[in-house]
Amino acid sequence: MKDIDGWKSVLTDQDRAKKYREYVTGWEKKIGSLLEWKLPEAGKIKSSEGILASVPFAVKDNIAVEGFKLTCGSKILEYVKAPYTATGVANLQKTGALVMGKANLDEFGMGSSTDNSALQKTNNPYDTSRVAGGSSGGSAAAVAAGIVPFALGTDTGGSVRQPAGFCGVYGLKPTYGVVSRYGLTAYASSLEVCGVCARTVDTTRTVFHAIRGMDGMDQTTIDYDPVSPEVKTVGVLKVEEGSLSEEVAASYRVSKDRLNKLGYAVKEIEIPAMEYVVPAYYTIATAEASANLARFNGMRYGLSPIFAESPDDLMRYSRNMGFGEEVKTRILLGTFVLRSGFQDQYYVRAQKIRTLIRQELDEIFTDCDVIMLPVFPTAPFHHGQSELTSFQQKQADVYTCLANMTGSPGLAVPSTLEKGLPVGVQFMAPPCGEERLFTVAEALEKEFPAPRPAGYSEEWRA
Amino acid sequence: MNKEELLTTASLALLELEEGEVDRLGEEIARMLDYFEMMTKLDVDGLEPTTHAFQKTNRLRADVLNNNNNNNINNAFNRNLIMENGNDVEDDFFVIPNVL
Amino acid sequence: MSDTMVNDKYETFVGLEIHIHLLTESKMFCGCKANYGDEPNTNVCPVCLGYPGVLPTVNQKAMKMGYTVARALNCRLSRKTYFERKNYFYPDMPKNYQISQFQEPVGVEGFMEFEYNDEIKKIRIHDVHLEEDAGKMIHAGDMSLQDFNRAGYPLLEIVTEPDLKSGEETEAFLRAFRRMVRYLGVCDGNMDEGSMKCDANISINTPGAGLGTKVELKNMNSPRFVRRGLQYEAQRQAKALDEGVKLIQETRLWNENRDITESMRTKEMANDYRYFPEPDMPPFCPDDSFMADVEKEQVELPLARKHKIMRKYGISSEQAEFIHDEKVNADYFEQVMALGADAQAVYTWLSSDVQKELNLLNMTLTESPLSPERFSELLKLMDDGKISGKIAKQVLIDVFEEDRDPSAIVEEKGLSQISDPQAIGAVIEKVMAANEEVVKAIREGEQKQKGFLVGQIMKETGGRAAPALVQKILSEKLR
Repeated sequence: MKDIDGWKSVLTDQDRAKKYREYVTGWEKKIGSLLEWKLPEAGKIKSSEGILASVPFAVKDNIAVEGFKLTCGSKILEYVKAPYTATGVANLQKTGALVMGKANLDEFGMGSSTDNSALQKTNNPYDTSRVAGGSSGGSAAAVAAGIVPFALGTDTGGSVRQPAGFCGVYGLKPTYGVVSRYGLTAYASSLEVCGVCARTVDTTRTVFHAIRGMDGMDQTTIDYDPVSPEVKTVGVLKVEEGSLSEEVAASYRVSKDRLNKLGYAVKEIEIPAMEYVVPAYYTIATAEASANLARFNGMRYGLSPIFAESPDDLMRYSRNMGFGEEVKTRILLGTFVLRSGFQDQYYVRAQKIRTLIRQELDEIFTDCDVIMLPVFPTAPFHHGQSELTSFQQKQADVYTCLANMTGSPGLAVPSTLEKGLPVGVQFMAPPCGEERLFTVAEALEKEFPAPRPAGYSEEWRA
Repeated sequence: MNKEELLTTASLALLELEEGEVDRLGEEIARMLDYFEMMTKLDVDGLEPTTHAFQKTNRLRADVLNNNNNNNINNAFNRNLIMENGNDVEDDFFVIPNVL
Repeated sequence: MSDTMVNDKYETFVGLEIHIHLLTESKMFCGCKANYGDEPNTNVCPVCLGYPGVLPTVNQKAMKMGYTVARALNCRLSRKTYFERKNYFYPDMPKNYQISQFQEPVGVEGFMEFEYNDEIKKIRIHDVHLEEDAGKMIHAGDMSLQDFNRAGYPLLEIVTEPDLKSGEETEAFLRAFRRMVRYLGVCDGNMDEGSMKCDANISINTPGAGLGTKVELKNMNSPRFVRRGLQYEAQRQAKALDEGVKLIQETRLWNENRDITESMRTKEMANDYRYFPEPDMPPFCPDDSFMADVEKEQVELPLARKHKIMRKYGISSEQAEFIHDEKVNADYFEQVMALGADAQAVYTWLSSDVQKELNLLNMTLTESPLSPERFSELLKLMDDGKISGKIAKQVLIDVFEEDRDPSAIVEEKGLSQISDPQAIGAVIEKVMAANEEVVKAIREGEQKQKGFLVGQIMKETGGRAAPALVQKILSEKLR
């Protein structure tokens, strides 16, 4: 039986629904992965025939689901309810799946720890003193804890893959445009996409195929042809000594060995422009963010003062009070790199570097079917910035934001536990090469399935 | 970036920084801009900027009405929630202070 | 050239930014109805309200209209056009950036010809670009009411080079421009209703010295106000220069109640729009079939039409001005002419009696019951002597009221002209018998009294007697 099938009765069977509620409540006290959750009353669910009939799932709280709040982890949207549903979510609902809650995140997706959520703290299910990663930390933690079989996240620079790696689950960032962005609160429009966190490769694949598709509401969506791939050659990114923490370096070596054991042709690769990826990425991401977040001004919806003397006053108050410091920092940075006189030096140059990086990746994919690279240079770190400053966290996006710069798909795969903490490894394929990623991940999964944190249980739904 | 540049940038972004924020955010932004400087090392001559992940073109929407008034599922939305989200709504207008 | 010189000393340079609302069903970037007269906030959705997570989608028809206008303005058409975000905060603008075009608008470097003081003038067009409108605020005391029905309405902006030389010339250009967009069917051109707006920039300088200090003029809601605003502004600037006062680059508003321009006096922060390509919509590369469609939308433009009408039908410039003002009227005129009619008669009727009926019933020529066929038939009944001009006027009114063919009306009401000499002779004899005194007086030389007899004869025949025959037979009988 497929893992997902075990979830089809947790909401329809009264006894199981009760146990489910207890299980979720128990975990939520420890990890705080969900900002809002509600299980439908037992008996109120119509049985449906869809492939995900009655399966509960969580949605990152920057993706719109009508009737649920859409806080984006920000005070400025704390009380706003989404008046519509994102295309990806609507597609899943058509298969019978049910939204059970909204997952915590770094404010507007800006961060790698979920500590930047203005509303709630989310802990790693393996060690609650540590972060779950980010920005889709709530989604990954909820899946790792077994609260839901899968959750939707968004990935702008690694926001699905990095927390998936930190929580020991699968995290897919699809090819740009293969999944509609309609309903995804924009952070960096040309880089991001809706992604999937799941416990198994099979569930990841099922959900991916459910959410993807051309969308009349998103003119950047593209066609996807699911061809059965044959993966022979895996390019393994050569990583400089000292760029990875001891644990991650050890885990990375293990992953390489596993590829050899599974019979793949392993080839060491280098990406010459790699050192420019992060600066170019942050230039583009913050520039787009500065425009995308301009709409939040306390008018029409969102945090607004009780009294304001003028419209300008109202907007300024709302933004000053509503945004956290990381968000303000990125808005300011993005505003600056677009200013006349600076735009060529920063923004336009970054877009050109983006072209170069794509060219280098295209070249690599001429003789590699997929490439392997780390997800993040460290294992899950402690809350706060004592281990990694905000600036270091940004620099650490290097392995994940590569796929956002090129538009390629990337999949974080649970690799090993190091000192009790999960460490993941990442695979990338050329655009629309998702099936290749699933093929490799499934081969690895057979031998090395996703780990389980203490307290994880499937008993209650047996 | 000096303080004056920071404040000009803030006013373009409609943000008003408090004194503490000027220092903290200013420092972080300066650090990032220094980091961005690295990009100038690279020769980008002859490279076209990538503005869209995939240069697919010619997606146009047919000029027909499509909102909840005709129940088209593609753009279904809940008007009541839109009005409920309004901070101050009178007779279906959103009310804001006037410029006096 | 004195009319283009301010106080015979300064040369004037006027450039325009004209915004037209495109006549589409839906908005520029979402499926909401493009209609802002409705109840507040009814034609809105998450997209045009700038909700988190929404995306814009380009309206196909607006894109085609953009290219159609650019083509009509002789622009170089973009083979790869794209949208950009223009970033600035404004309470009515839901996203706080306007989706507009900057680097690659639909068309650039065009020109438009128009007639001014019987001369053909050529004004260069800088660019034609698509964008979206903002919402509307109604100010009520210390609060403002926001209505977003207009937010996202498709706009086409046409930017001219500073080639216009005076307020009068600008007014004439605007009227010609308005006529052109109506000919193309892309905008109704109503400046008073806001579907066409015009901001101007004006500077003056001593001849040969090039452009002066530019002042932006806004809030002129009719071509007439544009003229008066520019006239006022040219005088104001001339006076300042005469007095040695330095002009400042600023934005001024036309105050139609006081007939003056006033400085906006806002804390004008140096605007920096930080344009960058809109990542949510891919570029548009028109293919051959799109370009063929744009070509199909082209019509004979007003100026060419006017001169063709003058040449082909031998009417005056003034007459042609009236006929070609609206495309439907020019079409109508030519349809009537094709059915065989005299151009002068058609013009005379259209500009007087027909116009009077249309005004009375508040309808346009095309919606009226007077089809070209009926109109031509009416003129033919007169030409053939079946009815007199006076009867024809009555029949015209009946056509409007009864929505029937003129011949049917004439027949049923027995309005056809009496042209049988014997019948007319009999009536004349009867009238003469009843007015022996008058007949006697005329025969004694009082020719003036003859008119009285004619009147009596016409009255007797219900106005149907052929006037020429009445004159001829009466003269014979009075001899």
